[in-house]
Amino acid sequence: MTNISKWWITIKISWVKHTAYRLNFFLQIIGPSLVFFFVKYNLWSSIYAGEEDLIIKGFDFQAMIQYHLWAFVVSLVAQGHGSWNLAEDIRLGRISSYLIYPFNFWEFHTASWLSFQVIQMGIAGLTLCILGFFGLVTLPSTHLFLFGIGYTLFISLFWFTMQYLTGVLAFWLEETWILRVMLSIVSYFLSGAIIPLDLYPKWMVTFLNYTPFPYLTYYPVKLFLGEAIDLTQGVSIILFWTLFFALINHLVWKRGIKLYTAAGM
Amino acid sequence: MSDEILIKAQGLTKQFISYKKPPGLKGSFSAFFKREKKVKDAVKDFSFEIKKGEIIGLLGPNGAGKTTLMKMFTGIIVPSFGELKILGSNPWERDKNFRKRIALVMGQKSQLWWDIPAMDSFLLLQKYYEVSDEAFKARIDKMSDLLGVKDLLHIHVRKLSLGERMKMELMASLLHNPEVIFLDEPTIGLDLVAQENIRRFIKDYHQENRCSIIITSHYMQDVQALCDRLVLIFDGKKGYDGSLEDFESILGNEKSVSFTFSAPQDRENPLWKDYAATWNEDTTHVDFRVPEDQLRSLSAQIISQCEVDDFATEKLPIERVMKELMNNPEILRQHD
Repeated sequence: MTNISKWWITIKISWVKHTAYRLNFFLQIIGPSLVFFFVKYNLWSSIYAGEEDLIIKGFDFQAMIQYHLWAFVVSLVAQGHGSWNLAEDIRLGRISSYLIYPFNFWEFHTASWLSFQVIQMGIAGLTLCILGFFGLVTLPSTHLFLFGIGYTLFISLFWFTMQYLTGVLAFWLEETWILRVMLSIVSYFLSGAIIPLDLYPKWMVTFLNYTPFPYLTYYPVKLFLGEAIDLTQGVSIILFWTLFFALINHLVWKRGIKLYTAAGM
Repeated sequence: MSDEILIKAQGLTKQFISYKKPPGLKGSFSAFFKREKKVKDAVKDFSFEIKKGEIIGLLGPNGAGKTTLMKMFTGIIVPSFGELKILGSNPWERDKNFRKRIALVMGQKSQLWWDIPAMDSFLLLQKYYEVSDEAFKARIDKMSDLLGVKDLLHIHVRKLSLGERMKMELMASLLHNPEVIFLDEPTIGLDLVAQENIRRFIKDYHQENRCSIIITSHYMQDVQALCDRLVLIFDGKKGYDGSLEDFESILGNEKSVSFTFSAPQDRENPLWKDYAATWNEDTTHVDFRVPEDQLRSLSAQIISQCEVDDFATEKLPIERVMKELMNNPEILRQHD
């Protein structure tokens, strides 16, 4: 019970922290996804330009934009958190306080992520309302919609564990931003965030299905679009990779903390 | 003070590894393939004990290893070698019960959340340390009253002055009534009044709670006002461990005195001739050192025989000793 109250107050304080600079926070969350969406919109507009009847692997222009609008919503919920400060906090010795408080650093960081996720959900909900109001996306049945949200939240947990790893590697690396950029680019391409996986060679999709990438964007988007997907496989594979990264994070932290010098104190 | 030992360090050593890089582009290129490793002992073979209720001043020049010791004591960094037990625990194992019994205040680093009012941070810490609502309220009321920050509790930390922030840092670290408190330069950068307030608060808090305190500071006033015992560290090694009185007498039992006269004096006067006196140009001001047991009688003679405008004895003998030792650490070896 006392532990739940520690988590709860950390979540509440994190809300206050996240929203201390409202405009900055809003731009940080929605900015990258929005810019990315407009880049894709322009890309696909150019491809379909002048050929209104063009259908690429079952996608006409409207279907393609629907796909990318849902990808935009999914990325807001699942891939908004970047553990931006984690590596810097380690490098500049700012995690010292958390090593002294009787609340573990990973607990603090995870509670902070949970609070972020609640705000993120609000922003994603608002975005969806606007898109729905203007008829830009077609909402699935309530049952399917709730299922899709639950699945996307599950993916966000996986994304968090992977981002956490790029952060704790700062015990060894001077800069970890390059890792995060590489991870983002690879996941954009392999998750179907830029090009739907239907357009990829079959052998590649078969291979990718064993990696976590297709489940980050392609599968949740298909779920929201009301298409049949193998959810059991998606959940099992993401669960496997989440546990895998959680274990790696634990081992990396255990070794890394021995190298920590608390610089600048 | 009780005989119960709260901190015991035996042969504590911390090594830091760095890599040498030759200057210039060529150096950068060759260092990319082959780097020369450099191992530095930040703390070497450090042993000591602290009893319950003691206040220890941990002194030394910059880079001597004071803060590294504090980091090891609080479990922030892991010692390379040696044994360390604090309240019966190994600090770097970071057992939650151990963490509830200690506190650390870093003068150079804020532990409060910058973007929220101090009270929000206190509420968070109340939950972390599992402090009851009654105890929390009573401690906040009392400490904020003593430190004069009652009106600042709901202001964002980033908007507080350095002195105000330090008071909040102290409050945050004492909310859970720790048994051992580590204060790393708690008065750094503060004005004289703020320094005085912080010192008085720490002293009163210690008297009331009988906790053990280790304090590092470059201000000798802090040490003089608070500490019973001094531990000196030079180049990672312990140089001195003893009482304040013994420390003051490392350079001999002499006191510095100064007199300002209303008229020029004769340098050859037997009153001061034998004391290697330092005069100003017009011989109206003199400084010299005199054995402690002769101070009272000699001063009385000078005041009765000469027209003295001002007379002063040294306020902080430890400052002089410290300066001398920092310039010449060899003295400590001779003293041993």
